[in-house]
Amino acid sequence: MASDLLGIGKSGAIAARIALDVTAQNITNASTDGYIRRSVQLAEASASGGYGRVGDVSLSGVRLDKVVRNADMFRQSEVRRTGADAARAEAEVTGLQNIEDSLEQSGVYNAVVAFEGSLQQLASDPIDTSLRASVVETARTMTRTMNIAAQSLDQAGQGLQFEATDGVNQVNTLAAELARVNLRLARAADASSDQTTLLDQRDSLLEKLSQYTDVTTTISADDTVTVKVGGPSGETLVAGGTATPLAMAISPTDGTLSFTIGGNAVTPLGGSLAGKAQALVKLDEIRTGLDDIAKTLADTVNAAQATGDDLAGNPATAMFTGTTAATIGLAFNDGTKIATAPLNSGPDSRDQTNLAALQTALGNLDPAGKTDALIFNISSAVQGRTVTRDALESIATTAKITLSAQAGVSLDNEAANLVRYQQAFQASGRIMQVAQDTFNSILSLK
Amino acid sequence: MTSISTSTAAFYDRSTTDIASLRKRAETLQQQIGGGNRLSRSSDDPVAASRLRMLQRSDSLSQIDDTNAGRANADLTLADSALSTFADYITRAKDLSTQAANGTLTVEQRAGIGYELQQIYGNLISLANSRDSNGHSLFGGEAPGDAYSVDASGNATYIGTASSGDLALGDGQKITRGMTGPEILNFDLNGTPTNLLAVVKGLADDLQTGTGDRQQAASDGMTALAKGLDTITTAQTVIGSRLNWIELTGDRRTNLGELRATEEDKVGGIDLATSISELQQTMTVLEASQASFSKLSGLSLFNMLN
Repeated sequence: MASDLLGIGKSGAIAARIALDVTAQNITNASTDGYIRRSVQLAEASASGGYGRVGDVSLSGVRLDKVVRNADMFRQSEVRRTGADAARAEAEVTGLQNIEDSLEQSGVYNAVVAFEGSLQQLASDPIDTSLRASVVETARTMTRTMNIAAQSLDQAGQGLQFEATDGVNQVNTLAAELARVNLRLARAADASSDQTTLLDQRDSLLEKLSQYTDVTTTISADDTVTVKVGGPSGETLVAGGTATPLAMAISPTDGTLSFTIGGNAVTPLGGSLAGKAQALVKLDEIRTGLDDIAKTLADTVNAAQATGDDLAGNPATAMFTGTTAATIGLAFNDGTKIATAPLNSGPDSRDQTNLAALQTALGNLDPAGKTDALIFNISSAVQGRTVTRDALESIATTAKITLSAQAGVSLDNEAANLVRYQQAFQASGRIMQVAQDTFNSILSLK
Repeated sequence: MTSISTSTAAFYDRSTTDIASLRKRAETLQQQIGGGNRLSRSSDDPVAASRLRMLQRSDSLSQIDDTNAGRANADLTLADSALSTFADYITRAKDLSTQAANGTLTVEQRAGIGYELQQIYGNLISLANSRDSNGHSLFGGEAPGDAYSVDASGNATYIGTASSGDLALGDGQKITRGMTGPEILNFDLNGTPTNLLAVVKGLADDLQTGTGDRQQAASDGMTALAKGLDTITTAQTVIGSRLNWIELTGDRRTNLGELRATEEDKVGGIDLATSISELQQTMTVLEASQASFSKLSGLSLFNMLN
């Protein structure tokens, strides 16, 4: 007979204590980010009878089998995937909104319309010096707003590039940490509290990583994780204890981003890095469009100036300098140098053939219409991406809440557990009391 | 052991998300109502924003058309009043030549009439050289200075340009902004082109110092002046119809402006009644969510266990 009532009671009390500890741990970590609810798994401690002692009762109470980490791998990977998509969309929308603001708030459109209007007003009296001065001033405002728009676009681009650089650093820090966690995981004992903490760290790091780039994970038998960036056929960022650094290059010509891991080109499909890269591509498109408007406008006006005489009767000179939105400027400040009259029409000519030709040429070029189209281009991109962003964000939020509902701590459950394990502890104590009483009753035999 | 339950964090997350989205909706509505504008940035509705930009562009160009039409109107009105004065002088000149054609007048009396005609001639020259609202010659086309130059012997020659130039009134409509000297003063007399200034000058000279039949000259002058008066009256009719045209395009501009304002309101404005009731609805839901959140979050098993 190998049973021991006191021992059984003790094992029960210990098991209940562990369960209470785990419950307390759950309660205190109810709002800890990345904490996965634990529960204890108990197993009966008994021995089967040996040879010739089949009929024996051999009970040893209970033992802790393992601390279960209630993580659902599928839901976790869904949270990472949808989170990466949402982060990409969010980064892209923010970048595009900055571009939209740069273009719209600078007031390029209104300035171009005002320039057109001042030319039209000049037609009412082409030798009126105040109307000429007004044309020069509206032209100046137009060039300045274009400069401002180009500058704001540059700043938006620099902001995106700066954030992307920071993102790359974060990715590398997280990847290095993940490699360290991998190393420790390979050594940790199975189902120990050390291992569960490491697993929490691993999953939390993966989730953080998914905010910056897409992650394709493969989890091996020893719970270490291999991470690939750029889809399942992408480049390996972390394998075992090794993290290969992600590197980023900014194109000097158009400011777009390119990424490499260990020298091999890689394109992040999700996360904020992908969003910022996409926004920078759009930024380049918008900047090229604005430069084109500035250049064609300057060329058209300068060409018209070349075919006319200024107010003094001399052949007129170019009105604008520069070939991009950032460099366009006024070549003169004197309103009398505007060529309203055709060549050789003498001083103070009210002949406005050349002005009419300029207005026709500008009408055909339609810089205001082009500016409007450019603003429409970016604003409809923002609108479209915002719809996508909202959808992806609600998907990501749902995935997160679903995971949290399954893997998070419910205080009500824990409260019930607290009562339950407290009762179990008290019951085990009772067993020990009974054991003592039984023993005493034997001792008191006289 | 798998337990399907709502975790505490999930409950708080979900409640925060729901209440935050309701709050955001309420704030957007409040912003729209406060600003009276549905769009705070182009990306709120790119098509409407682009349409609004086009409408505002038309508005600002239309205002300039308005200013230009105002100038054309002022110039043409000036020309009209100058033509009226022309007509008055010519009528006076006609009266004088009728007197001079009277056979009972002496040579000296005719010379006196001729002298008065010469004064009228001087007035006509300065009238032909009068200026418009911008200080340019009213009848000189696009010439910067005077329309007529007078030589040493007092003969007037037109030195302006052949046409007056057009002014855009918007929507592709144009108006010729004035009349040139030849348009109001030149006419055919018995198949010979002549002009009113030359006729008056010739008559004044003939009556004062002429060698031929001065009575006949006065009688011929009467005929010529009558034709000249016709030309001026015709020119006044032309100016009247142009002024009318400016008024018509002005009316059209006003109508289009009203249409644009209506469309701007429709495209970019908000319907207050709908927005306010929608805001009220959102607020009700928001208040309910907040109340139920505080009730539910207070519902903890820990409170029940003692």
